[in-house]
Amino acid sequence: MASPPFRRLLVANRGEIAVRVIRACDKLGIETVAAVSEADRDSLAARTATRAVCIGPAPARESYLKPEALVAAALGTGCEAIHPGYGFLSERPAFSRLCREAGVRFVGPSPEAIEAMGDKISAVRLATEAGVPRVPGSERIDSLATAQSEARRVGYPVLLKASAGGGGRGMRIVRSEAELPAAMQAAAAEAQAAFGDGTLYMEKFIERARHIEIQVLGDSHGNVVHLGERDCSTQRRHQKLIEEAPSPAIDAAMRVELADAAVRLARRVSYEGAGTVEFVYDTDAGRAYFLEMNTRIQVEHPVTEMVTGRDLVAEQIRIAAGEPVSFAQGDVALRGHAIECRINAEDASRGFLPSPGRLTSWSMPQGEGLRVDTHCFEGYLVPPFYDSLLAKVIAHGSSRAEAIERMDSALARCRIEGVLTTAPFHRAVLAHKDFRAARVTTRWVEETLLAREKVAA
Amino acid sequence: MAAASTMDLTHDDVAKILKIIDEAAHLDEVELEFAGLRLHVRRDASPGESVRRTAASAAVPAGVAVPAKKAPVAEPQAPAGAVAVRAPMLGTFYRAPSPGENPFVEVGQHVKAGDTVCLIEVMKLFNSISAGVDGTVVAIPAQNGALVEYNQPLVYVMPDPASEE
Repeated sequence: MASPPFRRLLVANRGEIAVRVIRACDKLGIETVAAVSEADRDSLAARTATRAVCIGPAPARESYLKPEALVAAALGTGCEAIHPGYGFLSERPAFSRLCREAGVRFVGPSPEAIEAMGDKISAVRLATEAGVPRVPGSERIDSLATAQSEARRVGYPVLLKASAGGGGRGMRIVRSEAELPAAMQAAAAEAQAAFGDGTLYMEKFIERARHIEIQVLGDSHGNVVHLGERDCSTQRRHQKLIEEAPSPAIDAAMRVELADAAVRLARRVSYEGAGTVEFVYDTDAGRAYFLEMNTRIQVEHPVTEMVTGRDLVAEQIRIAAGEPVSFAQGDVALRGHAIECRINAEDASRGFLPSPGRLTSWSMPQGEGLRVDTHCFEGYLVPPFYDSLLAKVIAHGSSRAEAIERMDSALARCRIEGVLTTAPFHRAVLAHKDFRAARVTTRWVEETLLAREKVAA
Repeated sequence: MAAASTMDLTHDDVAKILKIIDEAAHLDEVELEFAGLRLHVRRDASPGESVRRTAASAAVPAGVAVPAKKAPVAEPQAPAGAVAVRAPMLGTFYRAPSPGENPFVEVGQHVKAGDTVCLIEVMKLFNSISAGVDGTVVAIPAQNGALVEYNQPLVYVMPDPASEE
């Protein structure tokens, strides 16, 4: 094996992604230090890392969200690099900058690139400059009068969005001018509370949309490659539940168009590391528009790994060490179909209510074409402080139908007791004719699946 | 607390006592007796908890090699009766205000609750850590200039016997 990209790396995250990063480091011959909160002292990441350090109390704001504590932990343990995972500090330009100033490599893009893509208005402008079409919409909205004139120009229904936003917070669908004042007020208040910034902008609301995203990798040598798309249309309240690759909803021409657009945008910001360019695909018009770019590894990266055979986390780490992407665009071949289901500790029958607790039983399926990314084990206490993701089950097959069958059989073999999970919900989705026929849109779960269940109940 | 009677033992006082007991890792049971009032506190060290922990460390997903490892901080043996001054944050531990100066405290030295006993530096920001109780420093398990983790014991202080002021 070539010499490791780093001698030692700090894992500044928790849960399954911390375990995933440690696995990639093991493969690359890198020692790992797991930065853990007090609640995660006994976590799988703490046990599998070379070493663990406690960075603070359970609440994330006092541990995983403290840039100074994480950088101090990296310096104090002799780490050359920090992997931020996803969520937490992964997309904070200030964290990337602090790492740079402290002389620790941040496994991710430059603070400038994160900044450029993190502000949605700036991202949309850059995308437009790179020739990546955006959803018809406005710039910053600073008054009701601007909102009214912009909404008339774009055409109702419109979607109000938070400039600093993500995850669906600060968003409102507005169907008529009468609804506009109240919706603006609510969206701005929500954005202010969630992001500390109440700035809004507006987009045309697409009734039947699919979420399609392109995985890219860029390096410090100017190479940018894409690894095809993922389709994450099965969502609930803008939270992805099922992801698959390739998308069953687009044709070869659209696939090339989106991939080219994503690569152009990544080049435009001299992107280094793993990133994802997200698009909303209007199924009625057959057109795709730029949504945003995520400057980190994504939860759903395994579906891309399953169809390309590439290790995205290992690539990220090598890129951070200054190495080029280990393969050329021409070497990327897509094989078969992969689906990922996020198993959350939530009660789908009660509005996806979080269900923390101790896993009195935990047994996950194994077999051909199956992969399970998890930090759980029998006896593990799912803490109430963090997100509810327990595991990601990924099934690969030669066709979409085979991947679905394999996934359903895998979910049927999950033995999880002590907490309620979304596994039964996933089986209901997989069995539905709309999902099988790839007719699911980003609001299908709420408007069709859950709405019908309510009628039936 | 001049002329304090047992009637003045407030909820706050009890909370403070409980906190002190909680922070003294070796204490399982404490009995305090005032004139006419007895406070009996017992830490719940039920075997159920340790059994569950054992189960947690024993069962891991198949195919994942998990080295048997305890919590990150190996707790040093606390001197009997002493109270631990713990790190309120992760950072670098310093015994003196600056290199070359005398340490804030030495073993055997008497301290007041508000006295600074050490510093923790986090990214060039120095945080003064105070003793928390009146008493005598009996041990300093943390190493000068070393990384200390959150909640790690830094200094042990033997509290003064309760005095009728």
